[in-house]
Amino acid sequence: MRKINTYEKSRAAFERAVKVIPSGIYGHQGPAEGCYIPIEAFPLYSSKAQGTYLWDLDGNRFIDYMCAYGPNILGYHDPDVDAAAARQRAISDCTTLPNTVMIDFADLLVDTVACADWAFFAKNGGDTTTLAAMTARAYTHRKKIIFFKGYYHGVAPWTQKIDYAGVIEEDVMHNLYCEWNNFEQLAELFDRYKGEIAAIIAQPYMHGNFMDNQLPDEGFWQKVRKLCTDTDTVLIVDDVRAGFRLDLAGSDHYFGFEADLICFCKALANGYNVSALCGKDFLKNTVSSMSYTGSYWMSAVPFAAGIACIEKMKRLDLPRFLIEKGTKLTKGLIETSHKYGFDLRATGVPSLFYLRLADDPTLRLHQEWIAECVLRGVFFTNHHNHFINAALTDADIAETIEITDEAFAVLRDRHPV
Amino acid sequence: MKDTTVLARCNLYAVLGAIPHLLKLDPEAAALVAKKNVKVGFSVKNGPKATLIFKNGEAEMVKGTEGCSIKLWFPSPEKFNALIDGTGTPIPVSGFHHIGFLLKEFTKLTDILSAYLRPEPEKLADPVFFERSTTLMLYVIGRAIVQIGNHDKVGMFSASNITDGKIKLGIGQDLAVAIHCQENHLLFNPAPNHRGVTSSMTFADLKTARDLFDGNINAIAAVGMGQVRISGMVSQVDNINRILDRVAIYLA
Repeated sequence: MRKINTYEKSRAAFERAVKVIPSGIYGHQGPAEGCYIPIEAFPLYSSKAQGTYLWDLDGNRFIDYMCAYGPNILGYHDPDVDAAAARQRAISDCTTLPNTVMIDFADLLVDTVACADWAFFAKNGGDTTTLAAMTARAYTHRKKIIFFKGYYHGVAPWTQKIDYAGVIEEDVMHNLYCEWNNFEQLAELFDRYKGEIAAIIAQPYMHGNFMDNQLPDEGFWQKVRKLCTDTDTVLIVDDVRAGFRLDLAGSDHYFGFEADLICFCKALANGYNVSALCGKDFLKNTVSSMSYTGSYWMSAVPFAAGIACIEKMKRLDLPRFLIEKGTKLTKGLIETSHKYGFDLRATGVPSLFYLRLADDPTLRLHQEWIAECVLRGVFFTNHHNHFINAALTDADIAETIEITDEAFAVLRDRHPV
Repeated sequence: MKDTTVLARCNLYAVLGAIPHLLKLDPEAAALVAKKNVKVGFSVKNGPKATLIFKNGEAEMVKGTEGCSIKLWFPSPEKFNALIDGTGTPIPVSGFHHIGFLLKEFTKLTDILSAYLRPEPEKLADPVFFERSTTLMLYVIGRAIVQIGNHDKVGMFSASNITDGKIKLGIGQDLAVAIHCQENHLLFNPAPNHRGVTSSMTFADLKTARDLFDGNINAIAAVGMGQVRISGMVSQVDNINRILDRVAIYLA
């Protein structure tokens, strides 16, 4: 039997945090986002990380399948990326004039990403989705943007919804919504708002939270691409979450089409803070004309890290490797669930798999199982896709299966057939 | 941004709709109507219509004003809202022989309700008052969620994202209400059982609930501290919470 984690130091830190930080931990890593249920099963703060492991304040070690919600693609503290960053830090980072490493990084992205003729750098994924929307509006002189329901494109007001705190109706009045994979509905929107639609923005497949992930239907993207081309509408792919875990040339390339604009962040530099909007040549002048920048957007260290990260991902043929690892893991998890009479489902691309225990539509059973895994050292979250990184070994996968086996056994004891 | 018609619905169905609960919680309130058999109708032009039926010391609210003993008519939602704010007076249009009930018992009843819903801070030191006040607030909030989710523009958007099911809002182990969602339409259930609950949000105790209702603690931090527990289909709870935010706008 595995030891059961306890989190006294995490709790104490959180109590300290809520006094000086709004909600203690805000945003997607916050404990109220629906990913940490029940809260007692989860640590809240880390003390260190290495490779595929994360340690919390109480000294518990986890095999981390959240990978910092995506950035950790090569393993925490990857020596090649860290060495490149250290070399650049010794030269320069945030300076009055940008370092030419910025050009090197842009060159590399243009060479790597299929639809990229240029690259524009920022810090977070939301910086790039907002720039993409502004670019589409500036280029087309149109206002409306189509989203697929279940989307997440950041936290800028235009990406949120009318019922979110701080968002006003005018922020979202030009947002149109369509069901994923429903081309007829999409075409109807284009008929209804003829000449008004600036862009479609979409993740490469539906990897929204709280739902099974859905891949594009056969031919869906190709029809969307044609519709955008025929109507001079900008097609934006938000590859912030999935980027480089499906295809180093971009997830649009993986699904056999070309975006006009593609947004990258998370896995771009293995945790160093940089994001990039890449796009086609016809939009370059539009982006050039826009007022869009930030204090740290030209810092050189993350560019050096990004170059090292992409070069290493290429050497490892990383997406194939991650998909293989993810396939092996999810196959093992599903087989283990069947051993105890449970029906675990894994959806999405295996390198960023989504889990759901389908035996209970209220998801409580799923939440119980996840909790038992976390308490034993496998860091899953309840209702978010997970991530594979290059440091995950077959031994880690075997240990994960062993822990989840024990968690299923506990669950079956608690809920006998 | 408040819609005055939605506010009227909240005032009628949630605030006055709490009177049946008040009679169960407060013996003094129940005694006022112990021997009364009166149906008080509220008719708001371009707004909601409902009747409070008092019988044998209990009350229930039904939709419409058919068969009421005394009917109060309001020319607009604004005029009805003014009544609830204490700045307007009702216009009886029928049942004048029950005007005494309206001026005496019913007025006292609403005064007691107001005392619980807008309490003097020192009164909350009394644990019995505190419990009744917080319990009534839960009922008012639950009923207001339904009105806002079904009729307020932004609330309807939130409701449109709620999958069918039964969302339980509880305080401790013993007190709970539920919101039923069917095809994005919400219904209030003041006494839910556990069957069919698809998601829940449970406040650890009355104090936590009170502090959250009064805005004295942060809901997200409270989840992190384990003072508020969510489980099940948490996207339902998430959307109910978005409507809950609007309850504060309407009824603060």
